[in-house]
Amino acid sequence: MMRLTRRALAGVLSILVAAGPALAQEGKTVTDAGGRQVRVPVDPARVFAAGPPAATLLYTLKPQAMIGWVRAPKPADLAWLRPEVADLPELGRLTGRGDTLNLEVLLAAGPDLIVDYGTVNATYVDLAGRVQEQAGVPYVLIDGSFAQMPRSIRQMSDLLGVPARGEALAAYAETTLADLDALLAEVPQAARPRVYLARGPEGVETAGRGSINAEIIERVGARNVVETEGDGLATVSPEQVQAWAPDVIVTIDRDFAAKVAQMPEWQGIPAVANGRVHLAPAVPFGFIDAPPSVNRLAGLIWLSHKLYPQAATGDLHAKIAEFYALFYGRRPDDAALAALLGD
Amino acid sequence: MTPLLTATGLAIGHGGKVLIRGIDLSLDRGSVLCLLGPNGAGKTTLFRTLLGLIPPVHGRIALGGEPLSRLSRLQVAARLAHVPQALATPFAFTALDIVLMGAAARLGPFARPGRVEAERAMAALDRLGIADLAGAEVTRLSGGQRQLVLIARALAQEAAAMVMDEPTASLDFANRRQVGHAIRRLADAGTGIILSSHDPDHAAAIADRALLLNRSGLLASGTVAETMTAGNLSRLYGIPVRREQGDDGRLRFY
Amino acid sequence: MAGAPTMPRWRPCWVTERRLNGWLALGLIATLAIGAAVGPYAIAPQQLVAVLSGDRSDPQAVTVLWNIRLPRVLAAAMVGAALAAAGAAYQTTFRNPLVSPDILGVSAGAGFGAVLGILLGWPVMAIQMLGFGTGLATVAMVLGLTMVLRGAGQVLVMVLCGIAIGALAGAGISLVKLLADPEQQLPAITFWLMGSLAGVKRPDIAAALPALLVGLAPLLALRWRIGLLAMGDDEARSMGIDATRLRLLVIACATLMTAAAVALAGVIGWIGLMVPHMARLLTGPRFDRLLPAAILIGAGFMVLVDTSARSIATVEVPLGILTAVLGAPLFVWLLARGTKAWSE
Repeated sequence: MMRLTRRALAGVLSILVAAGPALAQEGKTVTDAGGRQVRVPVDPARVFAAGPPAATLLYTLKPQAMIGWVRAPKPADLAWLRPEVADLPELGRLTGRGDTLNLEVLLAAGPDLIVDYGTVNATYVDLAGRVQEQAGVPYVLIDGSFAQMPRSIRQMSDLLGVPARGEALAAYAETTLADLDALLAEVPQAARPRVYLARGPEGVETAGRGSINAEIIERVGARNVVETEGDGLATVSPEQVQAWAPDVIVTIDRDFAAKVAQMPEWQGIPAVANGRVHLAPAVPFGFIDAPPSVNRLAGLIWLSHKLYPQAATGDLHAKIAEFYALFYGRRPDDAALAALLGD
Repeated sequence: MTPLLTATGLAIGHGGKVLIRGIDLSLDRGSVLCLLGPNGAGKTTLFRTLLGLIPPVHGRIALGGEPLSRLSRLQVAARLAHVPQALATPFAFTALDIVLMGAAARLGPFARPGRVEAERAMAALDRLGIADLAGAEVTRLSGGQRQLVLIARALAQEAAAMVMDEPTASLDFANRRQVGHAIRRLADAGTGIILSSHDPDHAAAIADRALLLNRSGLLASGTVAETMTAGNLSRLYGIPVRREQGDDGRLRFY
Repeated sequence: MAGAPTMPRWRPCWVTERRLNGWLALGLIATLAIGAAVGPYAIAPQQLVAVLSGDRSDPQAVTVLWNIRLPRVLAAAMVGAALAAAGAAYQTTFRNPLVSPDILGVSAGAGFGAVLGILLGWPVMAIQMLGFGTGLATVAMVLGLTMVLRGAGQVLVMVLCGIAIGALAGAGISLVKLLADPEQQLPAITFWLMGSLAGVKRPDIAAALPALLVGLAPLLALRWRIGLLAMGDDEARSMGIDATRLRLLVIACATLMTAAAVALAGVIGWIGLMVPHMARLLTGPRFDRLLPAAILIGAGFMVLVDTSARSIATVEVPLGILTAVLGAPLFVWLLARGTKAWSE
């Protein structure tokens, strides 16, 4: 920890030296999720998000400050995004080693702040220090766990100099989580479905309880049938899924969702038999993961309606429209909503 | 004068298993000792033992009077050079590059051959009459020329004795004669040579002494005239052999 | 005897050798200059010269050049030199022109350590060190296993053990990929395994340089003797070389360099196989001439490849992809060219 702090201080010093008096005058010092003290501009105008979750959060909070995407939006996403940022260039990703982002490209884009939102471990803390030291641009880490979401939104918005905007989104997140908890209080454990998350065209890729990709299933009060702990994806056999006999299958794969009713090896599974296979919407950002960012709030609302159709109150379409309007700045019309939600 | 190479009560084999026992031999300056015997009799094993590449099972080997076991790899190389059956490298070295390698025994660990070594190597090639091949890639030479290059390398090693494992085995008639002459000339100039051969005629033509080895052990050893008798050779190869002496005094076997 | 007419036959070789290395060194300097001059952040030539000679008036240009571009160019040169030297050494001592530096599993081993470090979320330098360590450990295991099985001199046994242990390390890499979080770690692992110098900074170079020099020095000092191993163990021994020990030394040196290169840049194929061939076309098969040429060509080639990797597109292109795209056709061309320098 000592070493990291010292490194961070060295980084700060190098920024002060490199960036000169302009930055030193109107800066502030923040402590990031990695415990690093970072000197940042008060109102950053050009911000680079180091990974997809951060890019999504940055887009929802201060799209005008974005200088590029980690991964360019797909054509299908464009209609759902603010046109002025939708066609920003793809710059690549920072990972420590094997970056797809060239630091020169980054510097040529002239950022005054780099933010990352997601897992905070020694690699990312170290990476932040290295890039900050090497490129002379302040680099701040924000904790990306689900439980911290409202707090992280506020932190990020303070950092970006848009506290009011952050407050609106954080309040929305808090309300959503509180509504969900109120709903869950009404649903006894026995009535909570057992869920299998299906990925890939064959549906045999899945994620266990500890995985960031399946985190939302636990948060929405359901039980993931895949009990393994661990970060990664796993491939299982349909026979194993038969043994698990999930009540609901949530999938992010359009092909699988379309085909599963005809796939012989999936017949007899309660979820398939009862027509409870749900395809998670994915534009402009996924409902379940991809990226694991604030977009998952929409996933929470959607899942609460799909998993607890009796207990859930309110109009799903209206709620999703409100979320898109508030977070993504585009309110979808009824036809678009129907296409998005697939019903 | 101390013999260049002696072996006394030698038993050879692999991993403690004796292949042949009771070998006594001695190699003097200027003489050619030829090993004759059928395939599998252990000629190559004997050579590898003499070169110190594998340890003897019993017995003693001495190079210039000093026990082989007490000599370092470099000291052995400075006393006894080796001409293998064939070149065993996939790389297209030039003849000169190959011959220069003979200098390893005389150079320090970090040294590379320089002008002196190059001149010696050229001299060695010249002695074998192939100086004009110095710059040629060995992969493009004929079998006989390659064999001469290997002999030149042994010569450049400046060891008093040489071991040649079937130097003429895979050569055609003309090449065989050329290499045979070269070997004899080297011996006449003072080098002690021990070689193996499949061809009694050829052996008789270039060797002074012969050592007859078959699978059960040492059959005979001595001068060519007294060891390479029809009887000994018949026993050695297990087929009837006739010996004739031509008008030129050369022995021929049928 | 070796009369005057034969003298000119060998003398030009020495002159050519020195002159060739001079030209190759000039070529390397030129590629280093290109590497320093080219990059997505535009720096005008006059400014480039000014910044290089100590002008600090434009802090952004200073940062780009001194902190980002030059460390990277230098790292590329080091990695290229290390892989080419290791490849040349392996090809000569294993008497096989088709082996590459990872024949004994060093790349797979170092790759396993590095991806494990990524999975465990270690600091970047620790990832680099873990990769370096597991690369060395893998080859140590191969040598240990060879000794247990057959005695250290057995090249074939050694290579087969290398394949076996390398396969284990490959399985380990697959397992790590399976366990990794697919949002952030998996792309990092995948990209790292394809080789990249993005993110290299000065301390990384300082960490890798000692291993590189310690590996390279014995190879250079002993290069003529090492070349004799190309004749086979028995022949080398009968010429006064302790073949087993010398080969172990060569393996140790080449492994040290390769592990350092892999830890620094990820797994970059083809360089160690291809560059020695290119060098051999110029120098012939003698290792004492081949090694310096291979080092110079490898360094220059890698600088060019890395300069392309960061200039072709906005997003970095993995080095392994570029070296394969360049390497495979070049290799086929070398084969078609009659395999002049090494055919039997």
